[in-house]
Amino acid sequence: MSYLTPTTLDAALGALSGRDTEAPVSVIAGGTDWFPAQGERAYNGTLLDVTRVEGMRGVSAVGTGWRIGGATTWSDILHADLPPAFDGLKLAAREVGSVQIQNAGTVAGNICNASPAADGVPPLLSLDAEVELTSTRGVRRLVLAEFITGVRKTARAADEIVTALYIPALSAGARGGFTKIGGRKYLVISVAMVGAVLTLSGGRIATARITVGSASPVALRMGDLENALVGADLAEALERVTPERLAALSPISDIRGSAEFRGEAVVEAIRRTLTQIMKGQAHG
Amino acid sequence: MSDILALAPRFGSNSGQSLTRRDGVAKVTGTATFAADNHPDGLLYAVYVPATIARGTVTHLDVAAAKAHPGVVEVITPENRPPLAGDPDSKPFMFAFRFEALQNNTVRYANQPIALVLAETFEAATEGARLLNPLYDAQQPRMGLDGDAPFTPESGGLGLPGTTVHGDIDAGHAASAQDIDVTYETPEQYHNAMETHAVVAQWNGDHVTLDIPSQAIVMQRGAFGYYFGIPPENVTIRSPYLGGGFGSKAIINGPQILAILAARMTGRPVKLMLSRDQMFGPSGHRGATRQRLRIGIDTDHRMTVLDHNSLATTSTFDTFVESAANASQGLYAAGALRSAHQGVRIDAGTPGPVRAPGEAPGSAALECAMDEMAYKAGIDPLEFRLKNYAETEPGTGKPYSSKALRDCYAQGAARFGWAGRPLAPRQMTDENGMLVGWGMGTALFAAPMFAAQARAVLRPDGTGLVETAASDMGQGAWTALAQIAADSLGLPMDRIEFRSGTSDLPDAGIAGGSAHTATAGGALHAAGTDAIRRLAELATGDPDSPLYGAGNAGVIARDGRLHARDDDTRSESFADIITRAGGAEVEGKGSASRTAEASAAHAMYSHGAVFAEVKVDPDLFQIRVTRLVGAFAAGRIINPKLTESQLMGGMIWGISFALHEEARFDQRTGRIMNADLAGYHIPVNADVSGLEVITVHEDDPHVNPLGIKGVGEIGITGTVGAIGNAIWHATGTRVRHFPIRIPDLLTGA
Ligand SMILES: Cc1cc2nc3c(=O)[nH]c(=O)nc-3n(C[C@H](O)[C@H](O)[C@H](O)COP(=O)(O)OP(=O)(O)OC[C@H]3O[C@@H](n4cnc5c(N)ncnc54)[C@H](O)[C@@H]3O)c2cc1C
Repeated sequence: MSYLTPTTLDAALGALSGRDTEAPVSVIAGGTDWFPAQGERAYNGTLLDVTRVEGMRGVSAVGTGWRIGGATTWSDILHADLPPAFDGLKLAAREVGSVQIQNAGTVAGNICNASPAADGVPPLLSLDAEVELTSTRGVRRLVLAEFITGVRKTARAADEIVTALYIPALSAGARGGFTKIGGRKYLVISVAMVGAVLTLSGGRIATARITVGSASPVALRMGDLENALVGADLAEALERVTPERLAALSPISDIRGSAEFRGEAVVEAIRRTLTQIMKGQAHG
Repeated sequence: MSDILALAPRFGSNSGQSLTRRDGVAKVTGTATFAADNHPDGLLYAVYVPATIARGTVTHLDVAAAKAHPGVVEVITPENRPPLAGDPDSKPFMFAFRFEALQNNTVRYANQPIALVLAETFEAATEGARLLNPLYDAQQPRMGLDGDAPFTPESGGLGLPGTTVHGDIDAGHAASAQDIDVTYETPEQYHNAMETHAVVAQWNGDHVTLDIPSQAIVMQRGAFGYYFGIPPENVTIRSPYLGGGFGSKAIINGPQILAILAARMTGRPVKLMLSRDQMFGPSGHRGATRQRLRIGIDTDHRMTVLDHNSLATTSTFDTFVESAANASQGLYAAGALRSAHQGVRIDAGTPGPVRAPGEAPGSAALECAMDEMAYKAGIDPLEFRLKNYAETEPGTGKPYSSKALRDCYAQGAARFGWAGRPLAPRQMTDENGMLVGWGMGTALFAAPMFAAQARAVLRPDGTGLVETAASDMGQGAWTALAQIAADSLGLPMDRIEFRSGTSDLPDAGIAGGSAHTATAGGALHAAGTDAIRRLAELATGDPDSPLYGAGNAGVIARDGRLHARDDDTRSESFADIITRAGGAEVEGKGSASRTAEASAAHAMYSHGAVFAEVKVDPDLFQIRVTRLVGAFAAGRIINPKLTESQLMGGMIWGISFALHEEARFDQRTGRIMNADLAGYHIPVNADVSGLEVITVHEDDPHVNPLGIKGVGEIGITGTVGAIGNAIWHATGTRVRHFPIRIPDLLTGA
């Protein structure tokens, strides 16, 4: 096994391109998903650690939007100075594993791992995040909903690195929120979670982006609900969160919770997230 | 004061002080060497291959592939496993349980060893183990409490509870004005000590040295000697530090035996340490229980009958039935009492003692049933318990050696603010709209004693040396026992050396049954007293000593000097006495155990009362324990800080039992689906808040000369029931199994 720690993107991309399958190369960042998944098997391939590549880490304003570097950790997100639309992402960052996990684990790793229970995905979908993929062949951008294609499946090609996530321009006054349901208070995999970004006008919802995680193979935006919420004040909004408007979800029963509970809990979790945001209680 | 000692024991100097753990610095600085920290020259690493089926046979192992891996030195399978002198399927001594040591190719549970790989590095051994790629002939495993027909175990000690009946059960049922008949279930639980099981084995001829975490250091010499055909004195066990034990490190397991065997086979030292997932198999666990409780009360709310029946899972090849129903003995003054046990054989490893064996699940069910009965009767649950307070041991009528349970109830209730609690559920909410519930439970744990010996030496320089092979599992034995020894010698802590943790020292008994401090402490105290007696003989018989003629019983030891009891100005230092007598060390020996007469004369228990507050989210049903107050009476408290930590640890275990812990078996394969600490949940720090421990004063003149009971296990009892009852009180939903999880509350919404 060899462990590569390139400091330039070219070197990193070079290490990934043109490899045959005999000697696999795995990209890792924090390794907090990769190593546990590997289990006890000895790994004979190459590990390509992208965390030292120049420009891969950190959050910055670019043009009218924001760029989250492909090796940005959850702690980086927490400590970044970001507008209230990111409060949901920050709340999620606080609840990814423990502080140790947040110091090592990255946003890109979270979406590449593509677990249905990935806490980063609902807030990022609600922020309309786009994923920048780079290889020696070039650069492309996909919206996050197209990037994650299934349980632990993404559109990333083997020679591509997620170099950044982009958050497009946010309307002034957009605010985010996040609610996670877990069996204990901390260090717990989500039973279900909700990420939302709202814009408000005169106490009423002008636009809503609501995403539910862990209740379908890939976290889903609740389009019907988002439309129905437009124009609602808080009381109306809470009423409009109905199971029928969440019909796109397909929760399963597993070791963490029953399908029935997930179905009921997401209704309440959405209501709480809306309340959190509309009452100004979501502080990332 | 004691009626057992001829003299009043001399307490004061160190006993009772909250000294910090003597092993603390070594542990936080990393200099403490645990078993697997030993790396003798020529060390081989052993990794065992765990079965991935629960029932069947191993049909193929790719030994050639494993052996071909660089660094792999040997692969042991049933084909080439050298013979053992003692049969792993025999039960030759107390605490012997059958285990798998490659005696054949059958698989009796998932995670049992089916091969052992030895290599120059841990990594090579791990990869070699993977390359064995076992093939199986698998059969459908029998799982769960309904997995097979129940059987009734014969009564016979640890893991073999019989049926105990006091009074006329039928009459008790018939006499009841009101009754309940409820059934509670508890799951399989795996005690996961921080330090997983490990051994470093080195042979020298027919002598073996084992660095191994052990809760029974001297006793286990004989056990290991039996399996390897050598006398106990040829086995040296070194166990200075243990990262927890919880009962599992008193029992021998197959992987350890295989590692020791491998060391003899290869002529090289061998190290084996279980991985976390391997802790879910060969090293014991708590069996699942299904407990039916029938309680009857008369019109005055006095219990006419307490009828407790428990079914527990055990393995197909040995019997350890959790003695859950025995929790109903010894506590409430019911007119008639029955504790009956049955077992069911499933394809899992053999259960074993897990912190508060029997008492933990038994108390959980009993205390919830008591709550149900109280509610049905329309009275406060604490009042109901006081109404049925036992002044003498129920059934036997024996007097208690001491019982400050009333004080526990009173002090715990006052601290918690129990008064004014509404009887009906779902009455209280907090400022955030959370449902609030209060519940309580009684804690009870027997105060047994094992047998121990100790040695105490006074040196010419006035310092002392005390020796006993105690086990410090993190509970603080090194500290509390040294306090007792220092006190008995009349020396400050910094002037005694305490040797412990190796098998060449006097037997300290088992660090279990919450009896270690009482037993080993008793022996140390006796040894110290004996040394002081001999020293006093030297002084009082020597015309040159200021103590000449004071008489042996007329002196007391304090701060390195003997003083005349009736004249404090007459005194002489230990060093002067010994030097004048020729400079030979003065040795004392002591032992401690409980006589049959003492056991017959009194019922001996620690008691407590636990009060819990929970908050339940009315919509998401998330459950949080927000306050937990436990008041415990456990005789003399040697070190309040360590004692409170033990009790808190027990109560946190109670939170874990009530809300989190459960091994989930895949019914098709018999494998545990959550065999790691990511899936097998215990509370995290953020789940524990508002925890308070009160130690209630209790003088016990009968339990042993030092008046010490145990605190290691009682904290779990009472707590589980208190939390279950609080959840009911918050929500109105009575969940009759543990752990109680979010979806369980859905149905009641
Ligand atoms: C104890 C523990 C608790 C956890 N708790 C949570 C939790 O509460 N919520 C949660 O959502 N997750 C949790 N996780 C999972 C994990 O920590 C997160 O998903 C984390 O964000 C992963 O980031 P990473 O950098 O460590 O990913 P890695 O493990 O390094 O990588 C994960 C995957 O992404 C790929 N990858 C990483 N970076 C790139 C890149 N730049 N370009 C291309 N591919 C890339 C890797 O090849 C790999 O397939 C937990 C993990 C542990 C060990």
